[in-house]
Amino acid sequence: MPGKQLLMTFPVTATSHTLDDYRCRDGYATLERVLRQQTCEDVTREVTAAGLLGHGGAAFPAGRKWSVVNLNDGQPHYLCANADEGEPGTFKDRWILENAPHRLLESMLIAAYALQVRHCFVYIRGEFDLPYRRLAAAIEEAYAAGYCGERILGTDFACDIVAYRGAGSYVCGEASGLLSSLEGKRGYPRNRPPRLTVQGLYRRPTVVNNVETLANVTGIVANGADWYRSFGTPKSPGTQLVSISGHIARPGVYEVEYGYPLTKFVYEDCGGLTGAAALKALIPGGISTKVLTGAECEGVTYDHQSLAAAGSSVGSGGMIAIAEGTCMVRLLQVMLRFYHHESCGQCTPCREGTGWMHRIIDRIVAGRGRPGDVESLLEISRRNDGTTICGMGDAAGYATVGILAKFRDEFDYWIEHGRSRLMGKLEVGIDA
Amino acid sequence: MPEIFIDGHPVQAEPGQSVLQVALANGFYIPYFCWHPALSVAGNCRICCVQVEGRSWAEISCNLPVTEGMRILTDSDVVREQRRATLQFITLNHPVDCGICDKAGECTLQDYHYAYNGRPSISLEPKVRADKFHALSGRILLDNERCILCSRCVRFTREKSKSHALGIKRRGDESLLRAAEDHALDTDWYSDNIIDICPVGALLSRSFLYKARVWYLQPVPSVCPGCARGCAVDLWVRKPQWRLKSLAAKQNTSIMRVTPHGTPGIDGPWICNKGRDLARIFERPRALQALRKGQPVEYGVAVVAARKLVADAKRAVALVSNWGSNEQLTAFRDRLGTRFTVYIKHDHMPQSGEPVEDDFLIRADKNPNTAGAVALFGARSDRAAEFPADTDLVLVWGEGCDFTRLPRGVKIVFLNAYLQPENGHADVFLPVTIQMERPGHYTNGDGVVQAFVAAVAPPPGVADAATLFAALAASEVIPA
Repeated sequence: MPGKQLLMTFPVTATSHTLDDYRCRDGYATLERVLRQQTCEDVTREVTAAGLLGHGGAAFPAGRKWSVVNLNDGQPHYLCANADEGEPGTFKDRWILENAPHRLLESMLIAAYALQVRHCFVYIRGEFDLPYRRLAAAIEEAYAAGYCGERILGTDFACDIVAYRGAGSYVCGEASGLLSSLEGKRGYPRNRPPRLTVQGLYRRPTVVNNVETLANVTGIVANGADWYRSFGTPKSPGTQLVSISGHIARPGVYEVEYGYPLTKFVYEDCGGLTGAAALKALIPGGISTKVLTGAECEGVTYDHQSLAAAGSSVGSGGMIAIAEGTCMVRLLQVMLRFYHHESCGQCTPCREGTGWMHRIIDRIVAGRGRPGDVESLLEISRRNDGTTICGMGDAAGYATVGILAKFRDEFDYWIEHGRSRLMGKLEVGIDA
Repeated sequence: MPEIFIDGHPVQAEPGQSVLQVALANGFYIPYFCWHPALSVAGNCRICCVQVEGRSWAEISCNLPVTEGMRILTDSDVVREQRRATLQFITLNHPVDCGICDKAGECTLQDYHYAYNGRPSISLEPKVRADKFHALSGRILLDNERCILCSRCVRFTREKSKSHALGIKRRGDESLLRAAEDHALDTDWYSDNIIDICPVGALLSRSFLYKARVWYLQPVPSVCPGCARGCAVDLWVRKPQWRLKSLAAKQNTSIMRVTPHGTPGIDGPWICNKGRDLARIFERPRALQALRKGQPVEYGVAVVAARKLVADAKRAVALVSNWGSNEQLTAFRDRLGTRFTVYIKHDHMPQSGEPVEDDFLIRADKNPNTAGAVALFGARSDRAAEFPADTDLVLVWGEGCDFTRLPRGVKIVFLNAYLQPENGHADVFLPVTIQMERPGHYTNGDGVVQAFVAAVAPPPGVADAATLFAALAASEVIPA
């Protein structure tokens, strides 16, 4: 296993997701101790000291997000777990929802206590079937056992948790779009200011955290910030659940300690690429992070600083391995089709730009590319960057710019010859 | 009061204002599509970008709160380039069919293209096709290709008319503006305002569709007589120099459309659909012929006959019109007031199907100048049962009087503008002008006095009621 483990600390069995099994692993002991012995500020201070970073993609420190919420403002606060895991290549939160739903619930209750939240929501991706059933069953178990609802564990603390299923939109994974959707509105992201921690769900202060971020709270509160900081690197403490897919021998979800060598993870822990092919490129954290070439991966360790230095980021932990022989033009076409399909259509640059880029790449792939098309793609990407309400326009640009910068020759070849240099292959090593 | 600097000029801002509001209030123009002074901030068109000095990027000014000492650039290189790019994006799937678009000439997108972009599209791709003539309601057509999805109309139906009739369905560049349910917009009595606030030619009035290019028209300030709210409106008629012989006479003089004049405090930038349909009130068949007992006579003959009736009457009653202007009502009081017992007649009552009153603009009194008439004559009802018993003459001014309910055997002098069966039943009938043919003032239900001016010349053979009152009071005939 790639480094020490924080979340995947138990063997997954047929019953490991149930309350009984979770109790055997000291489940809900931390909640009880917090409710009886700690104040709200203690919990937030511990999470801040631990340096817990957001695991959803933006890596915003969770403690700082929590500290913005004014506990004495006399209005209701809300907490929402973002389980709308939609970034292509990412399926790590699904592991938590399927195998450790009580870990998420306990963490949410602790966070709710710290933020004085009466109502928590889990906004879960609509396509997640087993995760939803497991989560719903876990919530039912928690209510029956007195961990949710009124007078939790005999204390004055009361908190309800509601699981809400999304309807299949990528943009609803963006925190403000998620809240719009949760309110029953069209899932449009909202303008900032105001920030969600000032005016979020139902215009009340709201904290939206990724599922994995929240799942780490129990461990931090149970064992202390110093213990958490003993994992990972000083600037990137902890671990990251990585879902790896693509041309990889052993795809799946791994817990990677920050600072673990990237190539060692790919070649040793995941068994290298399918058909023992060479690594052409690696998308480290969902398709919205910039792609790294095989050569660029050398010497990189898996943490925020090292990946940033290499020109990419941890993102959402959705790693995609791309073997030598893959056609990057077709790959970008698939990505741009995704962004075009998922743009919510609110802001002009993203609504028009994603469709425009998709049509350009379609034309290139159809053999009708023209000189200047690559420049157009770059220009549109640049015009999308930072000009929209949410980050979706930026993300489409990052993906495009990342691939164009490193694999420009494949695009030029296709435009010049009207066909792919690599026969348009996306599946590699399967027939071999 | 925070002080901010726009393009180097210090300006005072109110706390809580956005940079866009401050800039517009101080004479710095920042282009905008989706922002509207009376609606909430959507922030989706991205054209209102400005640069904060010291930052390398442009950001939208409609959602940028002012802070003390902020330094804003509205025309830096970054801003100019960003605007140009945004206009390229907006026109990417816009059909640019200005040649056949009713909005051409008053289209924000057209103006901004020439002001801030001015370059042909750099796209080689085919445009996204969508519905060209989608019937959003019985009154409004939607061209989805022209729509730039600014969501002003959606916000209007949610925040102002409260009908929640509109929404956007599907997503990305296939997003479509649609009615929430079939006919949802048909029951919105303020629906036509979305035609005005549409920054492009996506929402089209069916009654104005392909009727005229707007640059042949001129707005004539007027007051809507539809109810006691008295919204200030603009009546759009052809400019005098564009009244062409080759056009039908009616086309040269008719009201092409009505838009709100936008008077703060009375109606803001909104009017109801009844105000849009003033042509339906004003352009009914006109009475152009004076009558004596139903027989056509010369105007002068009719006036003489009417004057004789007035002079001979022992007990005369007048039903004055609350569609008369303050000037006409004053003329009546000054010339004839002493000879008549005056009652105020309500020319129009709520029609079936018409909303009587709501909490937005529409008022229950469907007449423009009841307050003005009451101020001159007192609030006396027009019920015939209250007439003095020895009444032998009734002067009826305006519509809405049922002759069968007048005392039996009285003589009737009738002043009316429209062709109606009652005209022939009066002892003397005199055709008069309508509001759009004369200037004047109305006092609305809240006591605000507003002016209107003549939009067209009166047809031959009709007189202004004020002139007529002078003629009836005079000892000699004044020719009409």
